[in-house]
Amino acid sequence: MSALAAGTVELVQRAAPRSTPAVVPLDPDSREWLRSLRADGAVRDAAIARLHALLLRAARFEVRRRRPTLPHLRGDELDDIATEAAHDALMSVLKRLDDFRGASRFTTWVYKFALLEAAVKLRKRAWQGREVPLEPESWSLFSSESLQPGAEVEQSELLSTLKNAIDKVLTPHQRRVLVALALNEVPIDVLADRLSTTRGALYKTLHDARRKLRRDLDERGLSLDVSEEAN
Amino acid sequence: MEPDLKQTLGRLLGPSEPEIGCEACFAELDRYVELEVAGADADAAVPGLRAHLEGCPACREEHESLRALVSGEQAL
Repeated sequence: MSALAAGTVELVQRAAPRSTPAVVPLDPDSREWLRSLRADGAVRDAAIARLHALLLRAARFEVRRRRPTLPHLRGDELDDIATEAAHDALMSVLKRLDDFRGASRFTTWVYKFALLEAAVKLRKRAWQGREVPLEPESWSLFSSESLQPGAEVEQSELLSTLKNAIDKVLTPHQRRVLVALALNEVPIDVLADRLSTTRGALYKTLHDARRKLRRDLDERGLSLDVSEEAN
Repeated sequence: MEPDLKQTLGRLLGPSEPEIGCEACFAELDRYVELEVAGADADAAVPGLRAHLEGCPACREEHESLRALVSGEQAL
């Protein structure tokens, strides 16, 4: 099963019909990759070895990027994660070879599998042995003490309404998911693992919860566009 | 409003624009990144992906990694 897992809700909401990439002839390199990976015997074996090397390079790239956030892991542990990620990505790529339509170069298409596998493994490793909080660790965000002196009444009202909406408007499952992901900042792959579900399914739940909260605030004339602040 | 408070509200309320889900994001990510790196209008080609990256930290991290990897390759 891929790190994202199949069978989940693929589309949350679309602004407009998505443009379908035109069918374009494959570039020579991509065509050669497909040809050799679909060949028999030594040609295929050599292609798989080259593909594995490419995936390992991408997985190590991801591990290097995240290394500062994982100071407790030794170099050999990190390399084991990269090796495992490359292996899992290789299995995914070979299984999905027919899905490649040439919308990008073949190498870019395969990189994303290695990066995904490495990123998911590193998130899970970072949370290994830690409790995943599903309830608010603190509602201090919503207390008047968190507001700067002189904060507008509207801001205080917004926070109060938001807390009330989280308590009353959401289903228990939506509330747990929203609190874990948005308030407690549990990585979505870690939460998916603990709840035996998928990233896609959890994100759909998160999206539905967010829509309910926005709608509730809108109905009370308290809408707030904070999207740019989420980054 | 305190920056931390704004960030938390952003995580709670998510993007205001319509967005695609995680699987659609993964399916389109390679095309999107190559368009970005080429200076083309990736957002017009894949509506809703940019909003999803705003709302999903995991997909956002993977997008940043793929863009960095592909950009680095092209710079060689």
